Amino acid sequence: MSVEERLPAPAGLLLDRSKKISFRFQDKQYEAWQGDSIASALAASGQWILSRSFKYHRPRGILSMAGQDANALVQLPSDPNTLADVTPVSDQLAVVAQNFKGSLEHDKHAWIGRFSRFMPAGFYYKAFFRPKGVWEKIWAPIIRSRAGLGVVDTNYTSGYFDKQYAFTDVAVIGAGPAGLSAALAAANGGASVLLVDENRLLGGSLTYARLAGAADAAARHREQLVSAVGAHANITVMCESMCNGWFTDNWLAVIKGSRLYKVRAKEVIVCSGSMEQPAIFRNNDLPGIMLGSAAQRLIKWYAVRPGRQAVVLTGNSHGYGVALDLLDAGVRVAAVVDMRAEPTADALSRAIADRGVRIITGSAIYEAVPDASKNHVVAVEVRGISARGRCADHGERIPCDLVCMSPGYTPAYQLICHAGGRVAYDDATSMFTLEGLPQHMHMAGSVTGMYVHESVCAEGRYAGRAALQSLGLSTEDIEPAPVRGLSDRVNFDWPIFAHPAGKEFVDFDEDLQIHDIIVSTLDGYEDIQLVKRYTTVGMGPSQGRHSALATARIVADATGRTVAETGVTTARPPFAPERIAHNAGRSFYPERHSAMHHRHLEAGAQMLIAGAWLRPAFYGEKGQRDQCMAREALNVRQNVGLVDVSTLGGIEVRGPDAAELLQRIYTFRFAKQAVGRCRYAVMANEQGVVIDDGVACRLHEQLYYVTATTGGVDRVYQSMLRWNAQWRLNVDIANVTSTWCGVNIAGPKSREVLRRLCTDVDLSSQAFPYMGVQEGHVAEIPARIMRVGFVGELGYEIHVPQHYGEYLWDRLMEVGVEYGIQPFGIEAQRLLRLEKGHIIIGQDTDAMSFPAEVNLDWAVAKEKPFFVGNRAIQEVNTRGLTRKLAGFVIEDANAPCPQESHLVLDGDRMTGRVTSCYVSPTLGKTIGMAFVAPEQAQPGSTVTIKSTNGRLVEAKIVKLPFYDPDNKRQEM
Amino acid sequence: MKLMRCPLNGWRNISEFTYGGEVESMPNPVTDASDVWAEYLFFHQNPAGLVHEWWCHTATSYWFIAERNTVTDEIIKTYPTSELFQKRVDFSQEEST
Amino acid sequence: MPHALIKYGLSRSYPGHRHFNSRKELKDHYDVVIIGGGGHGAAIAYYLSKYHGVKNVVILEKGYLGGGNTARNTAVIRANYLTEEGVCFYRDSLKLFRGLSNEFGYNIMWENRGQLTLAHTDAAIRSFRWRAEVNKHLGVRSEVIGLDEIRELVPMLNMSEHARFPILAGLWHADGGTARHDAVVWGYAKGACERGVELHQLTTVTGLDIESGRVKAVNTNRGKIQCGCVVQAVAGNSSVVGRMAGIHLPIHTFPLQAMVTQPYKPVLGPLVSSPQYHVYVQQTSRGEFVIGGGSDPYPLYNTRSTLEMKESLAAAAMEVLPFLGQMRLLRQWAGITDMTPDYSPIMGLSPLENYYLDAGWGTWGFKATPICGVTMAELIATQRVPDLIKPFSLDRFYQFRQINEAGATAASH
Repeated sequence: MSVEERLPAPAGLLLDRSKKISFRFQDKQYEAWQGDSIASALAASGQWILSRSFKYHRPRGILSMAGQDANALVQLPSDPNTLADVTPVSDQLAVVAQNFKGSLEHDKHAWIGRFSRFMPAGFYYKAFFRPKGVWEKIWAPIIRSRAGLGVVDTNYTSGYFDKQYAFTDVAVIGAGPAGLSAALAAANGGASVLLVDENRLLGGSLTYARLAGAADAAARHREQLVSAVGAHANITVMCESMCNGWFTDNWLAVIKGSRLYKVRAKEVIVCSGSMEQPAIFRNNDLPGIMLGSAAQRLIKWYAVRPGRQAVVLTGNSHGYGVALDLLDAGVRVAAVVDMRAEPTADALSRAIADRGVRIITGSAIYEAVPDASKNHVVAVEVRGISARGRCADHGERIPCDLVCMSPGYTPAYQLICHAGGRVAYDDATSMFTLEGLPQHMHMAGSVTGMYVHESVCAEGRYAGRAALQSLGLSTEDIEPAPVRGLSDRVNFDWPIFAHPAGKEFVDFDEDLQIHDIIVSTLDGYEDIQLVKRYTTVGMGPSQGRHSALATARIVADATGRTVAETGVTTARPPFAPERIAHNAGRSFYPERHSAMHHRHLEAGAQMLIAGAWLRPAFYGEKGQRDQCMAREALNVRQNVGLVDVSTLGGIEVRGPDAAELLQRIYTFRFAKQAVGRCRYAVMANEQGVVIDDGVACRLHEQLYYVTATTGGVDRVYQSMLRWNAQWRLNVDIANVTSTWCGVNIAGPKSREVLRRLCTDVDLSSQAFPYMGVQEGHVAEIPARIMRVGFVGELGYEIHVPQHYGEYLWDRLMEVGVEYGIQPFGIEAQRLLRLEKGHIIIGQDTDAMSFPAEVNLDWAVAKEKPFFVGNRAIQEVNTRGLTRKLAGFVIEDANAPCPQESHLVLDGDRMTGRVTSCYVSPTLGKTIGMAFVAPEQAQPGSTVTIKSTNGRLVEAKIVKLPFYDPDNKRQEM
Repeated sequence: MKLMRCPLNGWRNISEFTYGGEVESMPNPVTDASDVWAEYLFFHQNPAGLVHEWWCHTATSYWFIAERNTVTDEIIKTYPTSELFQKRVDFSQEEST
Repeated sequence: MPHALIKYGLSRSYPGHRHFNSRKELKDHYDVVIIGGGGHGAAIAYYLSKYHGVKNVVILEKGYLGGGNTARNTAVIRANYLTEEGVCFYRDSLKLFRGLSNEFGYNIMWENRGQLTLAHTDAAIRSFRWRAEVNKHLGVRSEVIGLDEIRELVPMLNMSEHARFPILAGLWHADGGTARHDAVVWGYAKGACERGVELHQLTTVTGLDIESGRVKAVNTNRGKIQCGCVVQAVAGNSSVVGRMAGIHLPIHTFPLQAMVTQPYKPVLGPLVSSPQYHVYVQQTSRGEFVIGGGSDPYPLYNTRSTLEMKESLAAAAMEVLPFLGQMRLLRQWAGITDMTPDYSPIMGLSPLENYYLDAGWGTWGFKATPICGVTMAELIATQRVPDLIKPFSLDRFYQFRQINEAGATAASH
């Protein structure tokens, strides 16, 4: 059928017949109208096979035409597992089928299906492992190579995806008759309403289903509701939008185009409808066999005649509507096979009878017959139903190229289950029902088991008003909710007909037959969850949409329980498969730059990542780390260097109890600390573990400025606030990290450089000794100047307001030229402080380091009544240390420099590891720190380090520091 | 996403908050036995049900207490720490150095 | 085609051989009552019945067999831990995994894929080297590898030096692998039931009768049973069950979420993990990509899914493996994990004389299943604590001696 041969309007609601497009499927060119889906365009051209199935490589085609099944998964470029039945076709699109070997029509792997008897559920647990080793060598690779459906593009990089927040009083999910009615009712009461629907058209089943009466009854109802919604100022409509998940507190994930909307709704009304189910009989998966609603969608949405001669299998009156639509579309209906023994006549069934269509009651399709190529249905074997699930021994073969199945529905319960609703089963109607909805969630329409149009609309209005009441927008009594009547019974209780030759598929995704489900229960896997896990039923791409009901029925039957007791497996988000890129959105991993960042880049710095920050590692070519580091370090020792310390944390503690707070938070003593003095401050957690360090500067009697580590400051700040929430000391605590930036100018000539820019502070050693702090001006910028000595030379840390950072850097570099000033990076700083024997928290400590282990016992006050961690530190110390951090040197000049984390051994026993190690250019040898056993920690003893490639290296333990033990340099 | 009411900032997404552990009272640093301290430091009530916890609104660094049901994921109530900690805490003797 | 399947296919009727006992009445007395029918409980029962001749054993499971974290974990099996205690323990567990299919006569589909953990900072390289050195010293294959080797193992990784956190190095754990997680518990339960152990599903323990430091009886929703001894193996509920025995545990219980895509043709062999981005990815033997990361931010006994976790896992996964963007997520789920302060389990004796603890399994319980079964069974049968689990005693916390495992667990499950 070429595009011109499509059915005339009003069929083809989604088509734009002014635009003809052309696309490829496999290696053939096809025509389509703008608006066609891939599957509709192919069906219109007589191409019914879309892909091959997961396990047996059976041909598969259209099942639901609603994006609900895995049969319609095809491959697009860089987009595997695309739903052909709902994905619009675009011009020049290249589509291929999935999971076949050779040609789609003659799959070389289709032979597997003939051996299905040897591959029951869980077959892989029972075999492939003897003799030992055969699994990994032979079978696992074979099975693995057969796994999966679509082929991923390993070079894929995602296009643009983003996210948006939305807020509404009421979110209505599903714009069928119930959703439209609910939206109108809520909007009329003054609520803002967001109406979300996955389809291109509003109206839900009214866009394709057949109501009693005139052929256009549904269209007229739809027109009425849709125009009212369109005209309503309070209603925002989102079409082609998939509400894929309900999350706590009515937080909805809605995907539209390339955007994920995160919707916060005060009330949610779920009008998600229901999903038509397949009947289960032999070969029920053949192309040409589809749900009744799928045939209706092909006709009404796409103007495609779904076949020439049809058999309709039904268990409700909807099947008669399908038959009427088929007749109107020019399809010959060979028979309506009604599984009900004595169906109640209604308008639709009478209309079918009036049009002379043969109605066979109390009967079922026992088997579908494929054509010679096994690629399409050519006939069905219809037999009387002799007992539940059993057919008579003989029947009648009816030729047809189309079978429509309408045995019943399951509610689209997924969103409600995400919200904690439970699925129950009503034996009277053979229908899943829903209960236990949370507050602020309502439901209406066929999701509740309501199918008669008038009641569906009434229930929608009821839900809308209930939402208004919950919002407090309405206090008036609402009319009672409509109740389900006999006409709402749409499920035939047992549309499941086993066949001795099998191939009656319960789960199309996983190629599971009735037998597989029963085998599982016989093997002892009786709980529905175990059945799922053992057989993989419901685990495929359609997540059990078409298998959950049948599985529950079969398992219930096989285990002597009710369907309600048997239940269903848990529905979890997302409702429909969604791209990972949708959830990722735009990449958002922010990074922090100091005020001097650009100066580092201009000076050729290689940056390293420190928490959220980037810091200069060293200045020079990438491969020149060691040389640059040595040069920078030597310049600090000999002249003067400048390092950016802006990333260090800064916290101000202010108030009468400022010293008292520090006394309690840090391990050291602060009460008697003089104004204008700094003290080293170590922080332990309550378990006694060293977690941070810094310098506490007493700027005034009631003001401390405390530094903290780059990565630790936020935690330190939070911790201070939390403790003080309990202690209620009279202090204010502020995190001023981003208010200040800073540099450390260090080296024997640092005083001379600083003197050039700082005139209001006496920098002499007497007036401004080591561990002093002063406020003044540097380059006319207000500054806090601390004389501290991390790198072991005369040096000053200068902190200035953040926006002056670059200016400060420039001025110091400028006046420093004649003194040989050079910037130095983190690597040189690490080396310099190692020479001086200072530890770095996080490098020379780990998640379980206590002060005494890392030689910080001197910084732990013994006589304070309390500080955080003191009791744990006492307990640990009492029990004795298990390791100690010690300095070592390697005297063998030919030994390789160990790397950080190389092991320290005592014989074959691991006693510790290297935490820092460098070749010191100043000292001319390899120095380091390592955790060693306490008995190894005595200066003068020798330990073995297991170095690169397992080479054992002797190291001598020495007293720290390596450099300037008398502190003459930093105190000059 | 779950919402939480911060006593200072009102209803906010729970991703704005930092969980801070159960509210437990600290044993006496001097007089209580090692086992009591071990329990305080490492062990938790961890109830399946109601629990009082520390929470912090991260952006404003505001600590408060929440009563929460750990089975239903419901926040029963939130309140300022001052309702629980009403008096200044002091430890026995002041340091001498 | 394997013999077993041919025999099966040619038999006229369904084999009808149940792997587990059908539902029946509880007996009045069992020598060993195992609370929890997950992998650990079933493994303990298996080794007790097979190797120690202890057969009057019952497994009490409140839901269905293996329905807790055995069903929910992402089946990463590795031994590249940090501490000597941890590495030896998981090394022996991994060794057992390799032989499990033949031990059971039930295919658990072990696959030795190797695990690649990515370093994005120099601090991470240091910690990876530490792990590699400890691993190698103890006979576990781990190696810090460079960018070329990483590229060769997983060509799809984002190796750009302009990434927010560029990949700097990797920890390659050649021994790492995966298995069909459900099959592990089923194999153990099947083997145990064949030897007389009783499995009772939908049987909830409601309390314990304790007299003078011993458990006398276990109360269930189906009646009281007398017991010789009791083991609790209830990951996700350890504090709750422990409380019934009057035992206070150093545990906080957090959900751990994960998600899975549709099936695709196999392209990713190794298990890939990035602690920096808090994400790990693997492709199952069915072709699905399983993606997981860190625990939820606050304690909860609830397996609800959150959108924010899914968003962050998706974003992180795409930073590391951009090609994942095209794939479609099928499902998101959660397990409930009992986290200890030192990221190590609590195993062995308890304050009660005949009550044994198998708890604190955090996010690492599945990979310990076999060795946990072996050692706990030995403890129960011989009354001696095996050396391998001595470090994991509850008492370590009273001794202020934690195990320093924190560095090896983040986002590497």
